[in-house]
Amino acid sequence: MNKFRENPIRRSLFYLVILIIVIYLLFPFYWALNSSLKSESQLSMTPATFVPRDPQTNEIDFYLTNYEGVFASDKFVRGLFNSLVVATSTTILALTAGSFAAFALGKLRFKGKTPSLYIILAMTMFPQVTVLSGLYAIINALNLGARFSMILTYMLFTLPFTTWVLTAFFRELPIEIMQSAQVDGATPFQTFRLILLPLTAPALVTTGLLSFIAAWNEYLFALTFTTIDPAARTVPVAIQYFSGQFARQEPFGEIMAAAVVVTVPIVVLVLIFQRRIVAGLTAGAVKG
Amino acid sequence: MAKGSSDLSKNEQKLAYRLLIPAFLILIIIAVYPLGQVFYASFTDKEFASSEQTNFIGLENYDKLLSLTIKELPPKINEETGEPIIDEETGKVEYESPIRVLPRKPYLYRPLNEFNIFGNRYVIGSADTDFINSLWNTIIFTVASVFLETLLGLGIALVVNSEFKGRGVMRAVMLVPWAVITVVSARMWEWMFEPSRIGFFNMLFEKFGFSSGNTAFLSMSEYQLPSLIAVDVWKTTPFMALLILAGLQLIPNELYEAAEVDGANKIRQFFTITLPLLKPSLAVALIFRTLDALRVFDVFQVMLAQKRYSMASYNYFQLISARNMGMASAIGVIIFILIFAFAVLYIKMLGVETE
Repeated sequence: MNKFRENPIRRSLFYLVILIIVIYLLFPFYWALNSSLKSESQLSMTPATFVPRDPQTNEIDFYLTNYEGVFASDKFVRGLFNSLVVATSTTILALTAGSFAAFALGKLRFKGKTPSLYIILAMTMFPQVTVLSGLYAIINALNLGARFSMILTYMLFTLPFTTWVLTAFFRELPIEIMQSAQVDGATPFQTFRLILLPLTAPALVTTGLLSFIAAWNEYLFALTFTTIDPAARTVPVAIQYFSGQFARQEPFGEIMAAAVVVTVPIVVLVLIFQRRIVAGLTAGAVKG
Repeated sequence: MAKGSSDLSKNEQKLAYRLLIPAFLILIIIAVYPLGQVFYASFTDKEFASSEQTNFIGLENYDKLLSLTIKELPPKINEETGEPIIDEETGKVEYESPIRVLPRKPYLYRPLNEFNIFGNRYVIGSADTDFINSLWNTIIFTVASVFLETLLGLGIALVVNSEFKGRGVMRAVMLVPWAVITVVSARMWEWMFEPSRIGFFNMLFEKFGFSSGNTAFLSMSEYQLPSLIAVDVWKTTPFMALLILAGLQLIPNELYEAAEVDGANKIRQFFTITLPLLKPSLAVALIFRTLDALRVFDVFQVMLAQKRYSMASYNYFQLISARNMGMASAIGVIIFILIFAFAVLYIKMLGVETE
């Protein structure tokens, strides 16, 4: 489309723009990585250095104790565990309830389909903060436990989205598949479980990943519901309250190490499933 | 035969309802019922975990949150001469303290802002300055960050849409900020905003001579919102760019080829082809981000906590720190109405395909 090949100046300018964009997008993460490899005295050097350097000799000097501190921190490790439990359970629950509803909405004929779809679409925009006080009261009254409360309330943003995207996917599947299964004597639910569900595997992976990341990321509910049970804190809350193992001031070296530790797995996951995630993000926004 | 098929469709209908039960049950428990609770509690003076009796107080919470008043500030009068007192150093008229002018009943009003019109000085008073400020902060944050994200997102999308080596890598890089937990990105930027040259921005600004290298970005009120907007723009521009990119790829290449034949230059092509055809995707992306920005919580809570509120973080403060459940509920309802209005607009603009 563009004819940069013919003009070396325009071509190098174009690549310069690309370079600037890449630096902009990656730099904060690089800075966190850089800071995570500095000791307290290296962190308090002025001006701050682009690579960890020894304060006296100015030679490059990596400091790895921050990472030890992160994994020695009970709170952080427990946070990782809590986040894993909560995000995984949220994903499974959202996919189960969501695929059931999506099958009905995408493939079955019934009265009240249009209003149901409208309700689901409206729910994708539901502001979680509105019901914060109501949910908090319910959770306290029923004594639900912070982890279970998070899993249940995370349905607020994962379930409508999952249902909406999967419905669109089910609708695209040819009706002939259902008809021929019916001729063979399969009940509609058997058709769903044995034939349609395997066909939707790509959409399940996409919505599952997005649900997992959304739950992994969630802060407002996690912060609110764990005020009564600090042991259930997930990663975002644990990082906010991180007090450090070794440092005496606010332990930014360890915080940055923790930031790197929780970001790298998600980034790897995202890069592996890049295409699916982009497809899911745009489907979620363009179609609902 | 006819009976058989109607049985079949009846069965299908039954199955459909049964399949919808789990999803709708969950949504009723976590959305519909608590929403009703919040609406109800917003009309009471309910306090969290307190033995005080809860009273029905009607619209008082809303009234207190949203009450604004404007009063004229009279100049201070010298009692002996009857003339207005003039500050000797600045040569300006001295005015009464706003506290004396603003009403104290039914609530104590506090000064929000002062301004001059036609030589008179006025003061805007509010019964809950924190809430009005949080509303204002949220709106500024939303408008500025969504505007910048759209502009930058459009730029990045246009660049990535052209063919070049390393396009795949570029798309991968775009997902990195999106994949970082919001709280983590807030802490990463908090560290870059450190108020001395151990922080990245102060180091950089000092090096280029913009400042002395001791700017307290998160403590000085004029830098607080711009700092937060910078974090949000970094974090969500890639998302915006991806949505716009999806829209760009829907535009058929033939249109550009035809324009090329007609001798239209790139800039003209952008304004006559790209922008009009991109409008639907752009509108969706814009509204999507606006709804999201209006309920911003994470960056405000992590980076400013009680120094400055967004609507959501003020709601959290009222609920958890002040234990003021009635008031928190009223704030929740106001956010709901605001976002609901936007969402209706969104659905209207798009229309829903059901079949």
